[in-house]
Parts: sequence; structure tokens; C-alpha cells
Amino acid sequence: MSQLQPRPVLGAPKPYTFPEHTRLTVGGGDIVAIDVPGQKYASIRLVQPFGGLSDPADRKGVAMLTAESLEDGVQGDNSLAPALERHGADWICYATWDGFVTGVDAPTTRISDATALFAEAVRGPALRDEDVLRRREQLLEGFWLEASRPGRLAMRAIGSQLFSGRYATPISGAPVALQGVEPEMVREFHAGTVAAAAGTLVVVGDLSGVDLEGLGRTVFGDTARTAFPEPVAPAPAAGDLPRVLLLDRPGSVQSALILAQRAPSRAEIDLPRAEGMSEVLGGMFTSRLNQKLREELGYTYGVGSRFDLRRDSGVFLVSTQVDTPTTAPSLTAALEEIRRFKADGATEGELAAVRQANTVGLPVTYSNARSLAHALVEMVVHDLPADHVDRLRAGYEALTAEDLRSAAEDYLDPAEMAVIAVGDAASLKDPLSEAGFGQVDVRDPENLWN
Amino acid sequence: MHAQVASNGAAARIVQHTLDNGLRLVTAPAATGQVAAVNLWYGVGSRHEVPGKTGFAHLFEHLMFQGSGGVAKGEHFDAIERLGGEMNASTSTDRTNYFETVPEHALDLALWLEADRLATLREGMSQEVLDNQRDVVKNERRQRYDNAPYGTALERILRLGYPEGHPYHHPTIGSMADLDAADLDYVLSFHRLHYGPDNLVLTVVSDLDPADVRERAERYFGAIPARTEVPTAPDAALQGPIGGPVRETVVEAVPAAGVFQGYRVDPYGERGFDAMHLASAVLGQGQGSRLYRRLVIERELAAPGDSADIIPFRYTPSLMLVNTIAREGVGGDELEQAVLEETATLAEGITEEELDRARAILERDHLQAISTPSGLADELGACTQLFGDPSLAYTWPDRWTGITAEEVAEAAGRLLVAENRLTVRFDPENAEQSAETAA
Repeated sequence: MSQLQPRPVLGAPKPYTFPEHTRLTVGGGDIVAIDVPGQKYASIRLVQPFGGLSDPADRKGVAMLTAESLEDGVQGDNSLAPALERHGADWICYATWDGFVTGVDAPTTRISDATALFAEAVRGPALRDEDVLRRREQLLEGFWLEASRPGRLAMRAIGSQLFSGRYATPISGAPVALQGVEPEMVREFHAGTVAAAAGTLVVVGDLSGVDLEGLGRTVFGDTARTAFPEPVAPAPAAGDLPRVLLLDRPGSVQSALILAQRAPSRAEIDLPRAEGMSEVLGGMFTSRLNQKLREELGYTYGVGSRFDLRRDSGVFLVSTQVDTPTTAPSLTAALEEIRRFKADGATEGELAAVRQANTVGLPVTYSNARSLAHALVEMVVHDLPADHVDRLRAGYEALTAEDLRSAAEDYLDPAEMAVIAVGDAASLKDPLSEAGFGQVDVRDPENLWN
Repeated sequence: MHAQVASNGAAARIVQHTLDNGLRLVTAPAATGQVAAVNLWYGVGSRHEVPGKTGFAHLFEHLMFQGSGGVAKGEHFDAIERLGGEMNASTSTDRTNYFETVPEHALDLALWLEADRLATLREGMSQEVLDNQRDVVKNERRQRYDNAPYGTALERILRLGYPEGHPYHHPTIGSMADLDAADLDYVLSFHRLHYGPDNLVLTVVSDLDPADVRERAERYFGAIPARTEVPTAPDAALQGPIGGPVRETVVEAVPAAGVFQGYRVDPYGERGFDAMHLASAVLGQGQGSRLYRRLVIERELAAPGDSADIIPFRYTPSLMLVNTIAREGVGGDELEQAVLEETATLAEGITEEELDRARAILERDHLQAISTPSGLADELGACTQLFGDPSLAYTWPDRWTGITAEEVAEAAGRLLVAENRLTVRFDPENAEQSAETAA
């Protein structure tokens, strides 16, 4: 019998190329498709340029409410989802800030039926008063149900601390603005956008025997080609940074903690530098923040950081949930890690980790239909070139330690950050004030958006 | 009638091999290239915990990432992450699961890391590591249970569903007191007792030749001896209904009343389980389900979402759960009564259309679960560990095709009754006040 082995020395990875995709134009719309032989569960997405940012100022939440209301189908009364369920299909519908995304995940054997159902629901929904009103109430109540989780509440509050304008209100329009969005406004919004614009159809799965052009005809019909609007940079929130917003959640044994800062848009940011830096700071399990707060101090179950990038702007954020007594020390420790990164940059080991993870790791990232479909949706929303995954890979290959340090310099500045803490204000107010980060403003979450 | 998506002969490409030390190896092809998904199912879970030691199997899972004979603390995560790999672990009542998906050329590294902690974890363990991970797990408990609305529901459900002293009476997270009491000696003995190749199913999903994978598994795991002593799992045998109705009412800071009900059903893997799985889908999975139709859409009593499912326990009766959260202004009593009425209708009969929809969504969920290399590896490992048959990972949906509407209705009528029911009720602290606000 063999002995226990020494650590293996790995050979060279096989070079990876993002799967080739087919592009075709059908009527006013485009199709982007990837054939994954053997993948019998397909992902289909229709991407249209109407996200939460398209909401008129007096109708915040209308895009999201429209997305929700489509689920009631062409006959209304919640008719769509059960019909798709009978085909073993999953209805997908959401609005991001930039895009309106609808679709189905379905067995490839049912792809035509499921797509037909999905297309008629997108183009010609009933949008009856009673259905829209029911959906609106569910969204409004759902907001507080979700916000009863401290991490979610903190996340929802970021926009109001960094931006004025549309981003200051959560994308659903809840908890206040959505109350004024009436069924007629939903019908108007739908008729002018989702019903009329062709959009781009993304199809990923085993495409043998799938008639892409036929799917395109079903989905696009005689709709017209529409482009994404030119981005306009949003204005910052009123008031000085840095500051701490403390949302009171009496009796909490843990606090949700977020550090957030405005960032450039997806088109403006240097992605490998920015995301590489974020991965080293808080993105990976082995990141500095996770090593410090979790593996060394035991303050948390985990901490993360990431960029949330849109067409007109972006946000960088660090998020965690920590034991109540360690809330202020966690903030101080996180700020210290940020300061250290800006001063000293990344190590060669960290650089190597980021470079490899984002190059040789690509086959892992794109090992299923959903992740491939997601990459294609991103490509459409951000006008990225067909070879953008391969370009990104090349960007990571060329990354240097100095790039990561300068990214920290460019994108991280505690003086420009808003901290959001959700927890027991009676225990947190003094320690957070004494941490000396910025003024601590205690608010009742119920009144934050009034 | 056959399941919608044939397995395309994939089941025929599964290869199984048992090493001399008892390790069961399973290999299967991946749908996309250049990756290897490695999945380990150890046959140890919280059902092996004894009173005073709850939460230990899960705490132990954390310690498996903290270094071993040839691997420093943090090195496991670092090695996989820098390859762009994905990894994690999870603990349930019945097993502990470790997994990593890596680029294909790194398969040897993943196998070596797993072999090292299996063979030499005890060399990497220290009091400092134990203290740190105990704090991490206590924060996990706060985040998932104590500081989350309705977070303690599962803990309360298990307490009502299984008698004191029964191995499924407590949740895998364990109690704060028991976590505090965990000591280093016990960590070491736990590894010796439960972590041996003879208690392990190793699954590799990749495009590599099965003979090649087998040779690598032999190389890294072949020298690890089987356990000399195999502990007996605590007796989990249980007959008959819960002895209900039993209930617990909790008044705390929740946003709305919550009704959580549980019923004992057959163990996972038995035909009776499958029948009740279909019943749960008819009742509360998807928007075409009865509870969604009646309570969310028509009567507007419950918040939207899936409301019924089964926690699959292999070695004792499983629990079917029916969970609903009230809409604003709706009292817990009204919601609870409505859920009971709707649940009772299953016994009156189920239409073929309802059954077809239930089969379709269960199959959909199954297909989605095995649509990634990692998910497929997990399912293959599960079916091997629990049933000795990895091909079930592909053919599982066939089990639902042979079950009739009458069979589902009969099982529902027999099991979804008061004497087999537990209820955990959450009521908001200021219930009257919020009802007024809504009015």
C-alpha cells in the first residue's frame, strides 16, 4: 500500500476560452446563445433597457411593480406561474437599476412551450387593477418582512446615505413611494417599455434541436429595437461624510454593519484592478477582513466586500454581522485594514491569488447554464464586447501589486464613506461615537424613508 | 409515464469502486469541461451527538478547515481560492459534507487536502483554534437563529417533533452552553471515532477517465487506515404519530404572526416519503399550490412564498413542515385555522392536474440541483451514502411517476391529523397595535 503523499505540484492549467456564442437578429431583436451539450435544463432571458432608473420621479417602484405584476399572466389572477410550473419551468422576472429581465428556466424538451407562455405574459399581460393592487400590498409588506433581518435592512439603507435622486429610494419604491403607484401607471409603463421594445434574448443550454429563430419570432413579434439610455451621473446625498447611520433594532444580540462608498460606473471602472483589490480586502474567504474579524478575533460568522456597478455609477461596500459588544471594535478593525491596504498595498502572494482565481478559475465560474446566462445578461446590460470575459482574463493576467495598491488609493477613502449599523442603539451609540469615525445619527428604521 | 428529461444514459457512465480501506469512490462525467467537482460525504451528523455535546458535529466541521498535519490554518481555503475554486462544507443530522470544485488540473491538490485532514487533522488541532472557531460558530448561531425573525423556529419544531433524548430532538447548530463546554480532548476523540475512510463516500465529477481518477484516489487516500473502532449511532427508531396536537407559542419582536406546523412522515427513501413529498408540493410548493392559491391570492391571509416541504431524515421519521407568515392585520389564530382547513382538504382528493404539476416542480428542482458539477457530485454522494446506489441521482424523478393521486390523498389523510401535528406560533409583541395600524 502507498504512503501518505507529499503536497502535489500542479501542472499547467489548460487555457480557457469563454464558450463561443451564436448571435442572430430576428426582427427588431437580437439573440445571443450558448450551446452546452448535455445541459438539459436551459436558461432563457429577455433583457430590456428599463430598470428602476426608468421610473418617473413621481412613480418610484413602477418598474419593479410591473415585473411583479407580469406574474399574473394574460388572464390575470396569478395565471402565469402555475402554467409554467406544469411545464417544469421556473419563471424569472426582476428589475435591476439598469435592466428589466424576464425569462424561464426550463427543460430543453419544453423550451418552445415555456417560451411561448413567457412571451405572451411579457407582451400582453392583463394587468388588472385587483392584481396590481394585491402585488403592491405584497411588495410593501414584503419590504418590512425582509427588513426585519438586520443585514437586509442595512443593505436597503445604503442608497439613501450615498445618493440623492432615484437611488435614495429602494428599487421597489417601498416602503413609502410605492404606495402612490397606481395600476394605471403600471399599465402605462408597461405599454411604453416592456410591451413595445424588442430587447435581447439570451439562451443557454443543450441547443440540439432548438429552433433559435423560432424562439426569436415568438418573443420579438413586431416589436421595435430600443437602446439603453445614455447614463447620467447621480448626485450625492445631502450632508457630510463620513458619518454613521445607526438604525435602532432594540435587543439585537448582533449588529449588521456596512461601510459604503460611491464608486465609478461599470464602464468607467478598471475592473480587474478594482475587483482584485476588493477580493484581497474582503471578497475572498482568505481576505484580510475575514482573516481579521472571523479567523483571528471571532467577532463574526463572516465578512465580505464587493462593488455594485451600474451604468451610471457604482457602490463599494463591506458588509458583516457582528456580536453586539464587538460592533465598534469591528468598525475600527475594518478601517485599520483599509488604511493598511492603502499604505502598503497587496503582497505578491495576494496578487498571485487574485490573478489565478480570475484566470484559471474561469471553468469553475462558468460550469452551468445559469452562470453562463448571467454573464450574457451582464454583457447586454453593459454593452460589453463579445469577448469581454476573455479580455477580463487578460486584464487579470497583466495585473501587478502596484495596480492593487493604486486601486485602493483610487477607490477607498474612509472620509467618503457612510457606515450603516443596524442593532441595539442603546448599546451601540456611545461606543460608535467614541470610535471617532464620524457623527452618529440614530434613526428609527420605520421613519428612514418618510 | 416517464420523467420529462431522460438521463441520456448518464447513469451508465457512473463508476464505483471501493478501496481496501473501505472508502467508496464514485465518478461521473461533467456537463461542462475543464472542471473537477470533489465531494465527500462522511457518515456522521448531529444524530451522533450525545446530550451535553449538541452542536459538536458542526463545530467539528469548522475545525476541519483549521489545519492538519501538512496544512497550516487557513491554507486549505487559500489553496482552493487562489485557483478560482469554490469550496465549503455543511452538517446535517445525518452526514457531514465537504466539497470543492476546482479547475481540472488541480484535482490532485483537492484530493491531497482532503486526505491530509482525514488522516492527520489531530496534528493541526490546538486550544487556540478551538476557541476561535467556537466564537465563529456562536456568531453563526446568532446570525441564523437568535438575531433573525422566526430564527429559532426549527429548534422549537425539532424539540416538539422528537422526544427528549432522541438524536433528532436538537438542531445541528447546538446550544450556546454546549458549544461553550466543547473541549479539545473531545475534538480529538470525535475525529478518531467518526473520520475514517470506511465512513466516507468520495465523489469526483469531471471529464477525466474514471480509471485515472481511481488511481489518484488510491494514491492519496489508499494509505489511510480504516477506523479500528466503529461507534454505534444513538437509537433513532420511532414509531407512530407525534402524540399531538402539541404546541409552543412565542411572543417576540417579529414583523407578523408566523405559523409553523410539522407532521411526522416516513423516513427519506421510502415510498411513503415520496407520496408525502408530492403532497407537500400540491399543498404548498409553487404558485399553483393550494395554499398559495387560497391563502395568498384569494383570501390574502398569508405572505407569498412556498409554504410546505419535508426535512428529509434517513434514519428516523422525517418531518413535513407547513410554514406561513401572516399578512398585515391578520391574526395568528385566523391564519392558523385557515392553514389547517386547507391542509385537511388533501385527504378529500387530489386531481391528476395537481399531481402532474407537483411532479413537474419536484423534477424541476431536482434537475436544477444536479445541473452544476458540484450539485451533481453532492447528489451522487448522497445517494451512495444513504442508499448505496449513485444512479438514483439521475433516476430519482422516476419515483414520483408511479405514485397515484389516491395514494397521495390516502397518505395525507392518515398523517396530516391532529394527533400527528406540532405547532410553533410566533406572535408579534405589539400584536394589537399592528392590527390597529393596519385597520
